[in-house]
Amino acid sequence: MFLRMILRAFLRQWKKMAMIAFTIALGSSLATAMLCVMMDVGDKVNQELKTYGANIKVVPKDASIINELYDTDGENMSGAYLREDELGKIKTIFWAFNIVDYAPFISTNASLNGGDEVTVTGTWFNHHMELPTGETLDAGVVSMRSWWEIIAGDWIDEQNGDDRDVAMVGKALAEANGIKVGDTIDLKGSSGEKSLLVSAIFDAGGDEDDQVYVYLDTAQVLAALDGKVDSIEVSALTTPDNELAEKAAADPSSLSIAQKETWLCTAYVSAICYQIQEVITDSVASAVRQVADSEGEILNKTQLLMMLITVLSLVGAALGICNLVTASVMERAQEIGLMKAIGAQNPSITGLVLTEILLTAIIGGIAGFFAGIGFAQIIGHSVFASAISVRPMVIPIVAVLVFIVTLIGCIPAIKMLLGLRPTEVLHGR
Amino acid sequence: MKKRKMYMRMITASLLRRRSRMIVALLAIAIGATILSGLVTIYYDVPRQMGAQFRSYGANMLFTAVNDTFSQEDVDNAVAVIPESQRVGVAPYRYETVRMNDRPVLAAATDMEGAKSASPFWRVNGDWPSADGQLMIGKSVASLYKLNPGDKIEVTYTPVIETENSSSDEEALEENADEEFILDNYIDFEVVGILDTGGNEEEYIYMTLNDMEKLTGKANYYNVCELSVSATADELSVYADKISEGVEGINARLVKRVTQSETTVLSKLQSLVLLVTVVVLALTMICVATTMTAVVAERRKEIGLRKALGASDKSIIGEFMGEGLLLGFAGGFLGAFLGFLFAQGVSVSVFNSSISFRPLLLPVTIIVSVVVTGVACLIPIRSATDVDPALVLKGE
Repeated sequence: MFLRMILRAFLRQWKKMAMIAFTIALGSSLATAMLCVMMDVGDKVNQELKTYGANIKVVPKDASIINELYDTDGENMSGAYLREDELGKIKTIFWAFNIVDYAPFISTNASLNGGDEVTVTGTWFNHHMELPTGETLDAGVVSMRSWWEIIAGDWIDEQNGDDRDVAMVGKALAEANGIKVGDTIDLKGSSGEKSLLVSAIFDAGGDEDDQVYVYLDTAQVLAALDGKVDSIEVSALTTPDNELAEKAAADPSSLSIAQKETWLCTAYVSAICYQIQEVITDSVASAVRQVADSEGEILNKTQLLMMLITVLSLVGAALGICNLVTASVMERAQEIGLMKAIGAQNPSITGLVLTEILLTAIIGGIAGFFAGIGFAQIIGHSVFASAISVRPMVIPIVAVLVFIVTLIGCIPAIKMLLGLRPTEVLHGR
Repeated sequence: MKKRKMYMRMITASLLRRRSRMIVALLAIAIGATILSGLVTIYYDVPRQMGAQFRSYGANMLFTAVNDTFSQEDVDNAVAVIPESQRVGVAPYRYETVRMNDRPVLAAATDMEGAKSASPFWRVNGDWPSADGQLMIGKSVASLYKLNPGDKIEVTYTPVIETENSSSDEEALEENADEEFILDNYIDFEVVGILDTGGNEEEYIYMTLNDMEKLTGKANYYNVCELSVSATADELSVYADKISEGVEGINARLVKRVTQSETTVLSKLQSLVLLVTVVVLALTMICVATTMTAVVAERRKEIGLRKALGASDKSIIGEFMGEGLLLGFAGGFLGAFLGFLFAQGVSVSVFNSSISFRPLLLPVTIIVSVVVTGVACLIPIRSATDVDPALVLKGE
């Protein structure tokens, strides 16, 4: 009988039920979309902030200071270098997945076209790597120097260019020497000579404007430094620092075992630095504060902002659902009055109304959940040009939210219904 | 006149008598209006607030000298081009090679307060130099010299003998000939802080401008000036052009890495907030509309009864719409203020700064609420007036 009553209610009043379901669907889609976006916004914004370039710099131990302090004329006399064959190891550390990009650099001086000495930097442009894990990675300055403006020509394309004797020339240097794209420049280093084809002129808005960028091996030939690199810049997705991370960065040995575990298992920039140092022989990896700290700042703010907006929309959705449920239950005063008049008990009326509404809520909530995922994807694709991943945690949150909100919405209405006097209602008072 | 009075009385009496339903409706509209005004306020404020956060990336404009150096007056003239409200930090730098323990070190002198605000990412272990005789040293220098905060160190500088300017050439030559006669300037410094930036700054030592003046004997002389300006990339390039053309001796450049990246990320963030606002608003407005529809649909019987008593469709629609619009107005008004309070709360807790009230948002919120309620009411009223009153009264 109970089932039949409910079934009849759905069949007879399908329009009204559809409207309740629709509103609940709206509310739950709103909640789902906002929760999905909020939980993923950290990763997405982190990815965007990679345009600021590397947040970790790896240099050889000890020699780094002497080299940069005294070696003002660029003669590489310090003799301390990192090994090129170890570069792949960076992608094998525990936090390999968080390392989105990296590039090695080697700088040397060479005379340009038999004239002035210029700084020549060898690096990766869009180096393709097959990792031991089976993954592939395209890394290099094309993505790590996204703010460079190519004035003429094109970026050097490592994967497509058979000719490795090419170079990119900084704007200031090109203007001073009248170099154009397509010209050939002769570079004479301390131990080698190369004739390179200029493939692009770039404007970096910094010191690089006076330099020549070439393939890593070209620079190594010029300086007779086979298989060696000066420094490595690493771009990693990190968690903003907290007290523990600062303590660890100052001195990893000051931590207790439990603390150290937490530290190593969180993607703090200091933890990633520590692990890089372990795989690269004789290296010092340090956080580039300008990028690392600012990233944390902006990430935290964005997440907090999105969280508050999410809370507002959740409250809005909850009140909206609540309201409609109240309105639509109150509307049925007459029907309930009649039921009471013919002897229905309060508990059975409550049960009937609740079951009806909750059934509707389940249907609406599920429909809304999927619609919400759709909305989240729209936001993800149009803002970040990538899909927003749906955390499993969203499902229980939305389910509980819809359930509780619907119940709360029913309470005032049911209270009112139970207080009804059948005669009055049927009279229409 | 009398008719209008009666109309108003009917509407208000109807609202008052059906209090619980009307509260439900009013609440629904107010929520919608709150979300509208709150999110729109945040949307308009995000670029400004977030832009300020992005200043933590440090300087986005550089002044370099056209001929080697420039003076404080040049800096003042150039800085005057940028409105004061947009200046976050101005740090003029002067670089010299000095010696510590007879080893050359690059020394920078600057206005410490300016440097602090222009490069907020600098981490100082210890204190910033606040008085003369205090020195901040980069991390690499500190480990090379094994110095800690509190240690004392002597910094020496050999003044350049400008032979051509000297009044007596003979004397100058004599001094050059015998190095013993060139007196080194030196200052005993106390190391107060160690600078950790992860960049080249770690290889410098930092002192106040006063100390540098004492050490070198030359004043009012800068090599570079770093500026942190809270402005969009377009505004910045306008300022840079103006300064390079208008101020003699200074060449203003943008730090491309910072300006370019900021534009990219900030525009993404703004479009994120915009899209979220649109989705949330659309869903909430539909939600408000369905609630209003439910509230009005309940009164089909009343409409039928009135029709049966001879009321015209027009007067029924007029009356119900009047009620709806009044609710819409009240809800919109309430929501506009609640929304502002919410936006204020967000701004204070996220960005630690307050938001200014946008007067335009008040009428916009009210108009949107009135329109949404109006449309939401019209649908059920229409369907009720369109049918035969007998059918409505019978409940079919």
